[in-house]
Parts: sequence; structure tokens; C-alpha cells
Amino acid sequence: MLRMFAVFAVLLVGWLFIPATAGCDQGIMFQHLTSLYADDKGQALLQPEGVACDEKQLVVADTAHNRLVQYSIQTDGVKGGKQLQMPQLVAPIRVQLNAKGEIFALDGKNRRIVHLSQAGAFLGNIEVKGLPAGGALVPRSFKIDRNDTLYILDIFSGRVVVCNAQGEFQRQIPLPKEFGFFSDLAVDRGGDIYLIDSVNSMVYQASSGGQSFAPLTKNLKEYMLFPTCITTDNKGVLYVTDQNGGSIVLLGTDGAFRSRKLAMGWKEGLLHYPVAMCVNGNGQAFVADRNNNRIQMFR
Amino acid sequence: MRVRFYFILPLMALLLTGLPIRSGAADNPFHLKEGGRGKICLNCHDAFQEILKNPYVHTPVKAGNCAGCHNPHTSDYGQMLDADPKDVCVRCHAQLLPEKPTSLHKVVAEGNCVACHDPHAAANKFNLRKAGSALCFECHKEMGERLKGNKFKHAPVEQSCTKCHDPHASAKGEKLLREDMPAICLKCHDSGKPAFQKQHQNFPVDKARCTSCHNPHGSNQQSLFYDKVHSPFAKKNCSQCHDAPTSSTPFKLKAQGAELCRGCHSAMVNEALLKNRLHWPLLDRKGCLNCHAPHASDQVGLLKGPSLVVCGQCHEDTVGRVKTAQSKHPPVVKGECSACHAPHSSDQALLLNQPSVIDVCGKCHDWKGHSTHPIGTEAKDPRNPNLFVTCVSCHRSHGTDNKKMLLAPTQTEMCTNCHKAYGR
Repeated sequence: MLRMFAVFAVLLVGWLFIPATAGCDQGIMFQHLTSLYADDKGQALLQPEGVACDEKQLVVADTAHNRLVQYSIQTDGVKGGKQLQMPQLVAPIRVQLNAKGEIFALDGKNRRIVHLSQAGAFLGNIEVKGLPAGGALVPRSFKIDRNDTLYILDIFSGRVVVCNAQGEFQRQIPLPKEFGFFSDLAVDRGGDIYLIDSVNSMVYQASSGGQSFAPLTKNLKEYMLFPTCITTDNKGVLYVTDQNGGSIVLLGTDGAFRSRKLAMGWKEGLLHYPVAMCVNGNGQAFVADRNNNRIQMFR
Repeated sequence: MRVRFYFILPLMALLLTGLPIRSGAADNPFHLKEGGRGKICLNCHDAFQEILKNPYVHTPVKAGNCAGCHNPHTSDYGQMLDADPKDVCVRCHAQLLPEKPTSLHKVVAEGNCVACHDPHAAANKFNLRKAGSALCFECHKEMGERLKGNKFKHAPVEQSCTKCHDPHASAKGEKLLREDMPAICLKCHDSGKPAFQKQHQNFPVDKARCTSCHNPHGSNQQSLFYDKVHSPFAKKNCSQCHDAPTSSTPFKLKAQGAELCRGCHSAMVNEALLKNRLHWPLLDRKGCLNCHAPHASDQVGLLKGPSLVVCGQCHEDTVGRVKTAQSKHPPVVKGECSACHAPHSSDQALLLNQPSVIDVCGKCHDWKGHSTHPIGTEAKDPRNPNLFVTCVSCHRSHGTDNKKMLLAPTQTEMCTNCHKAYGR
């Protein structure tokens, strides 16, 4: 009788947990929750190209309006939509949040990283201190990890620059010798760095503390056309935004293809030239659906 | 001992008498009659009698061995060939192809040997259908036309394309070159001669790619430079961009990426950098050289190649779409990418060269006369509150598989995408 009870208990536990675990491994399921079309004053978004999120807030780079828009995140949607606009930030194209909820945005016109408080006050530009001489820095993208370390993709000098929260140079990793064009980078919880090559549809990886990048995947053109953004969640899934293909491609951190989600279109749940995506710890994802002038929220 | 001798002797006799019989059987397993491999084919295919009068006859044909390539009874292949056309020639001519070719002629890769060779007989050596370069220009028509118009001609080109190119494949060079660059040029052009060195400003060009400046097929410029020559290069002001030829880094550029070009083209670069959206390769480590040739080019604006090639080196999916699309947009087919896009920078997404898509299309299309469908800021797109109806609400500008570059295969599907009430 006792043995039967034990078997029943094991089966019950298995039944309860196995589907949940399997779901986690697959990453975001991309069930559409809501779409954001405007700020809290009703001004429409126009060609948004960047999103950053944590469990509390979502910040959108409303690129064609030269502003950021800040929302607070609810379980199944968002609230608010405070406009953050300042002369120091033009055509923002990438946004990131640090552990304190402070905002960092890449100014697409002036190609500099602007630092704002959580409330949206301008704090200054990121000037990397102690950068090795001889190479100017042109940031194409950047990411901030959970320790507030800043990783800057510098296309001019062909490297990823790593600096601490104070902007002090820590190290640099040269880009590989042969590649098409790198548009974005991602950093996972273990500190491994990933680069997305838009031209060759390939992902490169440098291990945590590593000194060089190596191909993580082969050419992925059968799954994506022109990827422009790469991000990761805390469950070992890489999300690649395929701008020209209007979809999100999920890869494992070992580079294995997992799935392709969403498709090109205008209706909610479809994408038209998506350019960026973020995922938070609650398993919520936000996609900058640029040519649809909106942000879409999924889980 | 004696027994063994008596055993060996008949065995040897048997071998001696049996060998020719066996060899004959292997050579003629079907015990064909005299002429059965082909000569008797000419009894019906009498038109070949005339063809075979040509001075160059394919060896198996000359031997009357039609069955060397054809199956006289049945075949799965055209012309009753004995094997896939890709494999028939290779069965005897495999040595023509290197084991690991660097470049391979397309027709060879396709197994289309008969594009150049007559498999039976021809008036030209190697059974070529035409003599010399005329054969090459059957396919490479544009090259043939261009060569006729060249003011300055390259002697080997006048003789034959095969002086530099291997018509089948090359183990050593791209574009079927018999040797890689610059080795192939240095076979004729002695880089040790003082005149050569003087012409090249004493730069060690014997380690460079000659075709970055010279058009090996001839040109309208002296020294076979490409027709469009960059001004400092024409004036031999090499030191404007490069370190001195006597330095340890004679080809090193004096600045990196667009910074180098900005020295002269500051107005253009500054204007590009003032726009909100940049074509990012402009600011990477290659900068302008991603798209432009620094010395000379046969393209307007010193582009490295035709626009479709230059843009297509990164935007392969976009350029490729027009190749497969059933309805194509003529500017895309012609490679006129800059008809709609600003290649350096723009204030618009996708680097469009007008503030709105409607304005871009309106440069060529009188859309007001084209349709009574409302478009513009007053015509809200019912699928999305943040969009208004534009040309790309219904059409895809790089081409689609539907007529008029429409996004859906039928008009009903197209219209009911928005007008749901009319959907079935």
C-alpha cells in the first residue's frame, strides 16, 4: 500500500512539473498580450527601434520622435507612458536598464550612450575612461549585464569594449577577422557574449572572460533573412530578431536552432520590420515592431 | 617432380590459349557484330557522315564507338545517352578538373560540356563549337561588346581569353584565372624593371592586387586603369592616403575608415553624419571602402561594382527577392537602389530618400491617377491604429510572386485583408 502511494506521488510530481520545465526550456511562447501604440498623452509611437525591460518598467526608444517612453509593467499589460525627451538624446536606437532601473540609451545620430536616472533625468554621456589609445569608439549597440557591466559593440575599432558601472575600461575583445556586419550583442547570465552578424545570419560567441569570438552557429539563412538584434533570457535561450523576415528566431546558447516565432504582417501578433526585443525575469517579452509603429507584448 | 611438370604444362597452355579469348569477351561481352558499337549506327544516322568530315573528330566517334556515350537500346537520358549528361564526359575527361577547384566554370559545374564542345566533330581544335574568344562571347556578350569599344587593349585579351583563364576550372585562382593575382600578371610584367617600379611610385605592388587599379580586359584610360579614376590616384598622389613606399608599412592607410576620405570629402561625410539614421558600414573599420574602390572603377561614383552587386553583398535577401519574384520592380532589376534609398544616411527608416513612402513612389508613379483608393495621412489603416494607408500597404516594393507586386495572390484576398465585411 505504501509502495503504491509512493509511486502515485512520484507520478503526480512528474505530471505537475515536467510540462512546466519543458515550457521553460522552450523560452517565451509568444502568446500576444497587448500592443502599445502611444504614450500616456495619446501621442502615437513612430518607428520605435529599441526596448528595454525589467520586472517593473519598460522603456521604449521612440526613434522617429527623438524620445524615450517609460511604462510600468503589469501582469498582463503595461500602464503609463511617460515621455522622456531631452536635447541630449536624438534618434535613440538602443535602450538598456541597469540593476537600479537607471536608463541608458544609444543616440543614433550622435552615436553616444546617454545615461538617465530612473525618473528620466539626464545624468550625462558614457565616456569610457582608460580606453587604449589609437582607436576611436563608434558604438553600434550595447548591453548591460546584471552586475551593471557595460558591453559596447564598437564597429569602428572592431571590438567589444567592456567597462564597469563607473565607465572605467576593463577589457576589450576584438571582433573576428572575417564577418559580414555586426548589428547587436547579448550577454547571458554566465557572462558569455554573443554577436549577431546581420549579413551572414551567424551568431558568434566569446566565453566569459574569453579573449576572442568564435562562430557559435553556421549560416542560419534558412531560418532568418536579416537579423538585427540578439537578446537572451535567464533560461539559456537566445532570441534573434529577424528584421526582414518579420519574426523571432529562438536558439539555444549552444547555437542550436529551436524555433521560429511570429510572421510578417500588420495585425496584432504579427511583425513588420521588427528591430529589437527584450525579455524580463517574469517571462514577458516586448518587441519593437518598427514599421507597425508599435511595441508588442508577449509571454 | 615429373607429375608437377605435367600439371603445370597444360595449365600454362590453357592460360596462353584462354587469355585472348577472355580478353575478347571482356571487350565485347555482347558478341556484337562487326561495327555493332557504332559504325552500323551511321546506316540510319546518315547525316553524321557530313559532320564527320570536320577536321576534329571526337576519339570514340572516330573509332566508330557510338556506344561509348550512347546506349543503343534504352536510356533514361536525352539523346539516348548512356549516363547523366553531367557524368558522360567526366568518365573519360576527369583529369580536366582539379581535385579542389578554387573556381569552376558554371557550364562545367552544370555538366553542360556541349555548350562549348561538339561531342561528335567540329571545325576547331578540342571540338570547340567556335574558335577563340568568339565562343566565350556567346555567353559573355557584355564583355565582348565592352572589349570592342576599348581604346586601350590588353594584348593577351586580343589573342584569347584562355591566355589567362582556364575554361574548365582553376585550382589556383578566382574567376578561372590560371594563377592567382598578382602571380598571373607578373608572368608577363616584370616588377623588377626600373620602368615598372617608377610607374608604380616604387610601391611594392608585386604583392598587391593589380585589378584594384587596372582593368585586365582593356579600358579607355592609359595604363589600362578603369575608366573612372580617383583624382589623387590619377595625379599619383599616393602619399595622400598611404604611408611612404620606403616605410615598413608602405600600403598602410594614414587614417581608418571614413576618416581617411573625410580629408577631401568632408562636406559629403558631414552631411551624412548629420542625418538621424546612418548606413552603419560607413562608420566601421572599412568605412567608404565597403562600397567604393579607392583607386579606379568602371562604375559611376567609383562603386566597387554595379549597385546590385555592391548592395547585394550585404542585402542578399532583398536583392535576391527580385530574382525569384514573378512581378519585379524595374528600378530594383536595374540595380537603381538609390532611386528610393539614400546610401549614406537618411532621416527615414530603411534609409528612404523621401520623408514618406508615398513621396518615394510618387517620384515615378502618378498614384493619384493610378487608383481611387484613398492613401495618405487621412486614410487610416484598419489593421493598425498607428498606420495610414500607403503604397506599401498593398504592394511590396522589391517584388512579389503576385501580379503588380501585390502582397496577396488575388484581389479579393488583398482587399478583404482590410475590408473584412466583404470577406467570405
